[in-house]
Parts: sequence; structure tokens; C-alpha cells
Amino acid sequence: MPSLTIDGKAVDVPVGTTIINAAEKIGIEIPRYCYHKHLSVAGNCRMCLVEVEKFPKLQTACSTVVTDGMVVRTDTEKVRKAVTGVLEFLLINHPIDCPICDQAGECELQNYYMKFGLHKSRFALEDKVRKKKVQDIGGQIVLDAERCILCSRCVRFLEEVTGTRELQFFRRGDHSEISVFPGRPLNNNYTGNLADICPVGALTSKDFRFKCRVWFLKAFPSVCTGCARGCNVEAFFKGDILYRYKPRVNEAVNRAWMCDFGRLEYKKANNARLLVPFVREDGREKMMSWGGLLPQVAYRLKDAVEREGPDAAAVIASPQSSNEELYLVRRIASDLLGTKNLAFTSRVPGDGFSDGFLIRGDKNPNSRGAQLLRIPGGPAFDELVVKIAAGKVRALLLFGDVLGDLTQEETAGLLSMVPFVAQAGTNEGPVSAVATAVLPIASVAERGGTFTNHAGRVQRFHAGFPPRGKAKDTIGFLTSLANRLGAGWAFDGEASVFRALAATEGPFAGMSYESIGSLGQEAKG
Amino acid sequence: MSVAFSDAGRKEFERLLARYPEKEAVILPALHLVQKEFGYVSDEAIVYIAGLLSVAPAQIEGVATFYTMYNRKPVGKYHVQVCRNLSCSLMGAEHLIGHLSRKLGIEPGETTPDGKFTLSEVECLGSCGTAPVMQVNDEYHENLTEESIDAVLDGLP
Amino acid sequence: METVLTTHFADERYRFIDTYRGFGGYEALRKAISMPRDAIVEEVRKANLRGRGGAGFPAGVKWGFLPKDMSRPRVLVVNADEGEPGTFKDRRIMSRAPHLLVEGLAIACYALTIHKAYIYIRGEFVREAGILDEAVSEAYASGFLGKDILGSGFDLDVTVHRGAGAYICGEETSTLNSLEGKRGWPRLKPPFPATIGAFGLPTIVNNVETLSDVPWIITHGGERFAALGCEKNGGTRLVGVSGPVQRPGIYELPADVNLRHVIYDVAGGLRDGKKLKAVIPGGSSTPVLRADEIDVNFDIESMAKLGTMAGTSGVIVIPEGTCMVRALRVLMNFYAHESCGQCTPCREGTGWLRKVVGRIEAGEGRPRDIELILDLCDNMMGRTICALADAAAMPAQSFLWKFREEFDRHIRDRKCPYGNRF
Ligand SMILES: Cc1cc2nc3c(=O)[nH]c(=O)nc-3n(C[C@H](O)[C@H](O)[C@H](O)COP(=O)(O)O)c2cc1C
Ligand code: SF4
Ligand code: SF4
Ligand code: SF4
Ligand code: FES
Ligand code: FES
Repeated sequence: MPSLTIDGKAVDVPVGTTIINAAEKIGIEIPRYCYHKHLSVAGNCRMCLVEVEKFPKLQTACSTVVTDGMVVRTDTEKVRKAVTGVLEFLLINHPIDCPICDQAGECELQNYYMKFGLHKSRFALEDKVRKKKVQDIGGQIVLDAERCILCSRCVRFLEEVTGTRELQFFRRGDHSEISVFPGRPLNNNYTGNLADICPVGALTSKDFRFKCRVWFLKAFPSVCTGCARGCNVEAFFKGDILYRYKPRVNEAVNRAWMCDFGRLEYKKANNARLLVPFVREDGREKMMSWGGLLPQVAYRLKDAVEREGPDAAAVIASPQSSNEELYLVRRIASDLLGTKNLAFTSRVPGDGFSDGFLIRGDKNPNSRGAQLLRIPGGPAFDELVVKIAAGKVRALLLFGDVLGDLTQEETAGLLSMVPFVAQAGTNEGPVSAVATAVLPIASVAERGGTFTNHAGRVQRFHAGFPPRGKAKDTIGFLTSLANRLGAGWAFDGEASVFRALAATEGPFAGMSYESIGSLGQEAKG
Repeated sequence: MSVAFSDAGRKEFERLLARYPEKEAVILPALHLVQKEFGYVSDEAIVYIAGLLSVAPAQIEGVATFYTMYNRKPVGKYHVQVCRNLSCSLMGAEHLIGHLSRKLGIEPGETTPDGKFTLSEVECLGSCGTAPVMQVNDEYHENLTEESIDAVLDGLP
Repeated sequence: METVLTTHFADERYRFIDTYRGFGGYEALRKAISMPRDAIVEEVRKANLRGRGGAGFPAGVKWGFLPKDMSRPRVLVVNADEGEPGTFKDRRIMSRAPHLLVEGLAIACYALTIHKAYIYIRGEFVREAGILDEAVSEAYASGFLGKDILGSGFDLDVTVHRGAGAYICGEETSTLNSLEGKRGWPRLKPPFPATIGAFGLPTIVNNVETLSDVPWIITHGGERFAALGCEKNGGTRLVGVSGPVQRPGIYELPADVNLRHVIYDVAGGLRDGKKLKAVIPGGSSTPVLRADEIDVNFDIESMAKLGTMAGTSGVIVIPEGTCMVRALRVLMNFYAHESCGQCTPCREGTGWLRKVVGRIEAGEGRPRDIELILDLCDNMMGRTICALADAAAMPAQSFLWKFREEFDRHIRDRKCPYGNRF
């Protein structure tokens, strides 16, 4: 294990570590543009130059592997001059249109030239090399070639991560320009990442374009609900509106990336939300208060059980629910209603597209959690559907916004066989269009909990802001419902549920929110 | 418009493929071949080569535009390329470029309206000891004077 | 003086294998094949042969960098990209004596157990590529290349690969990328080519002239070759003289020949009664010398003492009456045009230098432009992946240092005293 000193601080690092990462370990951030932890080292921007004792020339920290006894300085006059020199070189052909640039606020060019106190370029503005401005290059991306600092991160991403190579440098010298080949736009499912890795405003998100200045946004850690991968994300919001997802680094799950479908998943928390409880009577929707509706739901479920036996009630759980929620749902079904009619399905409308990379065929974040919590899936769901179709179910508590892969008509037809259908959902859809009672619950941005991804990794998501409208946190709602069914639960928030769950559910034994941390933990089995 | 190599070109391409351990290595020779067969490297030709080598067209374009010998636009039947670097300049290259410009009625970078000549200034051709130098298509002409330039150009069919 | 390379250059037929063999060609290869491989490398080491591509790295030492373990096949790449302004020696070897190169590379490959060699020749050299192709075919037909060379069981395959117009592809790692069909971006080092080179394999890159010296070394012995040169650089060099001298051209001279002697005796001095103003001694990238600085020997060390370099030994002679600002502008155009564009300081620096020198020449220079140029050079040098940034900055600095008053005058008078012409 080589040990070295950087700016006088000693650090030990594994063999093969580069200076830039050794420095990071002791909290020294060496400026960089081309370096990206999840891509190969290009060493071309020359921002990360540092002094290394015994080397006459400055060395690039991103590519220089440390040796034992190395003495590195990042804070000398020589280094400062080199770095400001590079910044100045970058600025001479840069349009500096920050006021109209979406990247402003998270631009590495802006950040560094403020940090290094660079004010004005010595170069006459009039003879900058001009390149193409705003260009839709496909996928989720707009390109402004003039702002590009030619760091080659995007080129390496498309070579090393997607293998699709749509973006390339054309020409050479100071006429080098990043672009796609005419008529060959970006054609992969991970284009959104390009806007994340581009250190400047050359590649920006079409979706986010001009929507909001980044400094007005706050962020919280979350997990994408678009598929069973459970990519770790940072969710950005203002007020009670989500503006975007960006991937959060998790080497075990999504490294630094996420797919384009998942990136737009945030929209579900904003649009077509179910925001008030209501009942449907004679085809008309009637708004209700939670206080008015919840007892009715409890009553109808209990009533069905009491009149026609426990199997007249049924519960359809959702793989969109958290582990905590599913645990409570199972207990409501099995312990309180005593019904055998509990099932879930991972099927959703659509083709279940998957690739060998991140995107999973299962479009739910928590099918694995449902399995581990012993909620019957697969054939059990189909059997329940048969029972419902045969008119054997008198009261149904249904979670989620869709009923497997059934179409709107099929859903309506099936649910018309049940006299009372209570839906706990987040968004308008085939189920809310026909359910007898609709209980609006908090979106993934408005509640907390854990999902278990396809590989059995339990990951936490957090509430960024309180539920919109009259939507309710699911844990609270399930607890009230259970108590109306005679449970006597005292759960207070998802943490308390997780503690209970970890105490009784084998796969989660010994886990806690602390041990899960921000990067998740594997469940057993 | 679609392009395809002639039979001979196709054969040459196959021969090239067999000569290198990786198919990408054929990109440069293939672009030379394209230029030989079609006179310049069109967008269609890039897509064609990309298809033959199963690589992204952008990759071919990146290579094609890096190297100055690949013409991404059509050039005249004769591409007159005059060295403007130091040794040639010291021996009168600028004067000769002026002469060529007047003679052909075009500026460097332009093609005569009849499509016969394109005039270009290029960097050192590696022939500094016989400066000034120009290259007409593949052929070098050295120790140039106004008279020798006239003789060369006037002799072209 | 004894010559190594040019002895038979005058013979038009020397480029054909029969004539070449008539003068004893390929006997060195035959001899080499009878020698232990290490002994060949040792001979080259004793020859004190330093790379003729510009950097002057000892060839024998470089050959020793190949990994000892033979599990991965190795590659030889001949650098025939010759593009440094003022340099035209390799082209001469290839057109006059292609078999010298072929024999030299075959010996090198045999010594280093290399079965695949590429000759990377600059794209413009269409004629020379044709000559090389023919020479290679002749060598195959005569059993000097191909399978089981001269019955030794040693196989060697040679491919002539043409570049396509990019000076930077002479930088050896750019050569490798270009050979692999990529944009000619130089690679970060380490890893060096000897470890990871062409197609990921251990690779030796040598200049045409370097390898062409090898047959003579094998025939006559390394010590004798070393004795032709000086202490730190054995053998002869092909010195190219260009510019308005009586006899421009390529001359084979001892590695430590005197520069004044080259210009005034060998090349016959300046034409038309012109006076000498400046000399760029080793290709356009090497710092310029004033007329009063040319009493210097061409060896690497003496040149270094003067703050310049022997480089590619391409001597550019600049006469009185030449505008040094214009001359520098021509060079700055070149480097800006040839920068591969990947490193920020080189990409932007070369472009910026071109613009600033250009405006001075056009009479639009600003009072602080000289300071600006020097500062830009400082920010470029030693800060990049390859030496092109330095290659651009060195002439810029040296022109300013040595001919400062011409630059000042352009800026002060807002015009070119030479009338913006050569
Ligand atoms: C910008 C640049 C251009 C170069 N061009 C050439 C060239 O055209 N031919 C050449 O042999 N070496 C050239 N070199 C030097 C090569 O990198 C390398 O040192 C050389 O080919 C090694 O061969 P040698 O040791 O036999 O000289 C160039 C170097 C740089 C930095
Ligand atoms: S577009 Fe962005 S990521 Fe790509 S090279 Fe330019 S600055 Fe780098
Ligand atoms: S791969 Fe799945 S989890 Fe990851 S971003 Fe895409 S949809 Fe979301
Ligand atoms: S120094 Fe210039 S030519 Fe060399 S790698 Fe960097 S940008 Fe390319
Ligand atoms: S971060 Fe090291 S050179 Fe770009
Ligand atoms: S300068 Fe013109 S050929 Fe070299």
C-alpha cells in the first residue's frame, strides 16, 4: 500500500490509485474536466496538473499513478498558473452566454473560473471560432457545440457505456467540434446521462430546458420506480413539484447512470395525480374526506368477511409499494381480514423491454420485496382474477394504478364484478376510472421507505416534501385502516414498520435503516 | 444517392480486410479507396463504409475530417496543392500561389467553374530541398517556376 | 568521408533489388540471421545509434524496453510520416534506397522476434509508397520477407500503410492510433508503446533513417558506425538543407558536423549574394539561431548548449530581407493547422498564437502582444500529452527572443517594414 503526501497531508492508498483519487480521499479536490470516475482516463483537458517532487514537469493527477513516498503539491504558484492558463485557453473560444445557459449554476467552467478568480479574457471576443448553436441531436439532448470544451467525456460514454458511438469529434485543432453524423441522431436509451457528464452547457436536457434555474432547486435522495433495477437517483424539486431526476452514484446498482425512461419517471409525481379521496356512486364521483371514507372502506371489507366468509374479501398488493407498505398490507389481509385472497403481479401494460445493462423487464421497483415478504405472485394473481371474474369477491382493496397488464376495458369489466373496490393509488388510470372508492396516497417523492431491487438489494427512498393535495402517507393510512379492523397498531412512520418487519421477516433479519444507509444492503435469500 | 465500390474496389477492400488484425484499421485505406473511386468522400460513402465495417458513421466521419487528404466535398479533376510552408515561402511560394490564382481565375480553396482545377494551399510536403513544390493529384512537381507551372498545367488533358 | 546510406543513391537502379543486391544488399540480413539475437541488439547498442526521428533516443536502449515475456506477439512500426517542415530525408531514402529500409527493418524484426511490421508512410508520398510496395514485393519474392526467411524458420510480414494528411501522425503514439484507424490523437504515456502499442501489442516505433542505418551496422560492426559520429551520437546523419542556398538538398554528414560548414561549404552558401539572417537547425520546431550563432557542431549536446536542438537535422536557411514576423506566422499557421486538438493548451494555444502573430504581421498588433505570446508559450510548454505544443512554442519564443526588435517595430509602426511579403 503506497503512502504519499499531498499538500503535506499523508495518505495511504491501494496500489494503482491515481493522484486525483488519492487526493479525494483526504478531501482535496483537484480541478478536472475530462476525468470522470466512471469512464476511462483521457488526460486531455490538462486541468488537473499538479507538482510531483522529482518530476521537472507538472503531472496530470488524473492519469498519474501514485508511488510510495511520492510528494505531491496541488497548491503552488506553478500549479495555479497552469490551471488558470488552461481556464483562460478554454474561455478564449467560449461564448460565455451564461445568462441564457441552462448549465449556469452547475457549470464546471463557471465554477472554476470563479474559484480561480479569472475575470476577463485577454482575447478579443470578435474572432472566436464559431460553431453550431442549439441543435436537437436526438434522445433527450440538445447540443450547443460552441460551449463544448472538448473534454471527450460524452464520446467515451457512448463508446464505453452504450457502445453506440453517435457523438464524435469532427475536424481537428481549434476547429474540432463535437457532433452527430447528419441523419444519425442519438439512438440509445441512456442519452440523458450525457447532460449529466458534460461539465459545461454543451449537452443539456431537452426536458429540463429553460424550466428552472438550478439554484432554485433542492434535492433529496431517492430510487427510480421505473423498473426492478432501482437506480439510485437524486430528485430535484421546488415546492411540491419535481423537476428532474439525476442518477446518484451506486456502484452496485447503476454506477453513475440511469435510463431515459426512468429519468422521466418523476413526471408521475407531478401529473394526473389522485389528490382527493372520492367515491363513485351511480357513475358519479363524490369527493370525500379521509375521515369520512376510511371507516367506510374498513366497514365494507369487514362486512364482506362477516357476511360471506374471509374469502369474500380480497387484497391486491402492488410491487410499486415499499417493503414497509407491503408488510402492513400482508398483515391486514392475512391477520386482520384472514383472507387467502392476497396476490400481486409484476405485469404491467407494455412490452417489458429490457437490455443487458440497466433496464429490467419488470417495470416495478419492488417485486422482489413482495416475494420476500411472502405475498403470493404469479399464478396466485391469475387465480384471484378468476375468482373475481366469477363474482366470488365482494370487497376488494387494491393497491396501485393498474391491474397487471389488463387494458382499460378489461379492468373495468373485471372490477364491475366486485360490488366494492377501494383503490389506494397515486395516479389516474384504469383503476381509478372505475373503483368505488379512491384513496389518494403519497407519491414516491412524498413518502419514505425501502424497495428491494431485482437482485435483492434493499434501498431507501425518502420523502422530499409533504404529500400534495389530500394525498396521504401510506403507512399512516394503512395503520388507521388496520386499527379500524381491530389491530391496535402503534406504528409511527416507515422506520417503525421496518423495525417490526426486520424482527419477523427472515430475509430482512438484522437489517436497519442505518445498515441500509444511502447505498442499500442485500437481503438474504 | 447510394454508392458502392466497383468490383475491383470491392476486391481491394476485401484484400485490405485480410491485412489487418482489426477491421477499424481498414478505415484509412478504405477512405483512400473511396476517394479513388468516387473522387471525394460523400456522406453516402461514409455511411457505406460504416456499413461495410459495422461501425458508426460518426466514427468514420471523425476520422475522415481529421485527415486533410480526404475531400469531404467534390474537388476539380486536378487538385493543385501548393506548399505554403517556410522553405517553400522562402523560395517564392507566395508569388507562385498568386500566379496560379490569376492563371486559374480562382482563390485558394476554390474550384474552376468547369470543374477542372481546385487550388489549395497545403503545409510542408516533405520536399523542402526542391522548393517551391506543388502536388497535382498524386504527383509532385518540384523546383517550381511560373514557367514550369504553366507547362505542367497546360499539358493536362 | 565514409557514407552509410547515400553511397549508391546516385544509381537510379539502386531502388531495385537486383542492383541493391549487386552492391551487397541483404548480406547484412543473411549475417544477422546467423547471429544470436542478443548479439544484434548489442551491435546496435555499440553503434550508439540515436533515433533519427527527432527525439534522438538511443535505438538499442529502446529495443531493450520490450517486455521479456514473449507471450504477446510484438510489432514494429516504421515511422515514415516525415512532415516536420524543413525535413525531407526519409523521402529520399524511400525513393532512392527502399531496400535499405526493408533490410534494416527485417534485421530489427529478426533481432526482436517480431513477425509483423507496418511502414506508416505519410499519405502525400504516393510515389514513395508505390516504390516501397514494390520493394516489399521484391523482397518477398526473393525470400527476404515472408515465411521462413533465408531458411531460418523466421517469418515476417510487412504492410505499407498510408497516412492521410496529418503532421501529428508522426508522433509515435498518434502513428499507432492512426494505424489502428482512429483519429490521430497521441496517447497518454505511460503506457509506452513497448508495453502497449499497435493493436494493444508491445511495439517498437523507429524512424526510417534509424532503421536504414542498421544493415551497415551489422555489416561493419557497431564500433565502426559509432566512430563515424561523435561521443554521444554514432554514425552519420542525413542533413537536409533548404532555403535560398546554392545547393539545397540532402547530405550525409558526420553526426557532429559543423553547422556553418553545412551551410557555407556543403550547401555552397547563400544564393544571389544574399546574406544569412537566421537558421532553423533541425526542423521547424527547433529554436531559431541568429547568423552569428552558427559556429556550432550538430551533435545533440552542443546544440542543447545553444538552447536549440538537432531535431530532424532539417536546416532551414533564412536570408537577410526576410520578415521574421511573417516567417513565424507561417510556422504558427502550421502548428495551429496540425494540432490534433485534444489538449486544451495546445488546441487553444496554437490557434491563439496564430491569431496574435497574424495580427502583429498585419500591423494590428497591440502593445502587450509580445508579453502575451511569451506567456501563452509558457502556459503551453510541458503541459500537454505530446510535444507538439512545445514544438509550436519553441519557435515562437526563440523568434521573439532573437528578433524582438522586428516584432516591436511591426507593433509600433502598425505595418510590416518588409511590405507583408517574403
Ligand atoms: C509532433 C511530432 C511529430 C513527429 N513526427 C515524426 C515524423 O514525422 N517521423 C518520425 O520518424 N518521427 C516523428 N516524431 C518523433 C516520434 O514521436 C518518435 O520519437 C520517433 O518516430 C521514434 O523513432 P526514432 O527513435 O527512430 O527516432 C514526431 C514527434 C512529434 C512530437
Ligand atoms: S459536449 Fe460536453 S461532454 Fe462532450 S466533449 Fe464537449 S464538453 Fe465534453
Ligand atoms: S433502469 Fe430502471 S430503475 Fe434505472 S432509471 Fe431506468 S427505469 Fe429507472
Ligand atoms: S499537444 Fe497538441 S498535438 Fe499533442 S496531443 Fe495535445 S493537442 Fe494533440
Ligand atoms: S482531468 Fe486530468 S487531464 Fe483532464
Ligand atoms: S516547406 Fe514546402 S515542402 Fe517543405
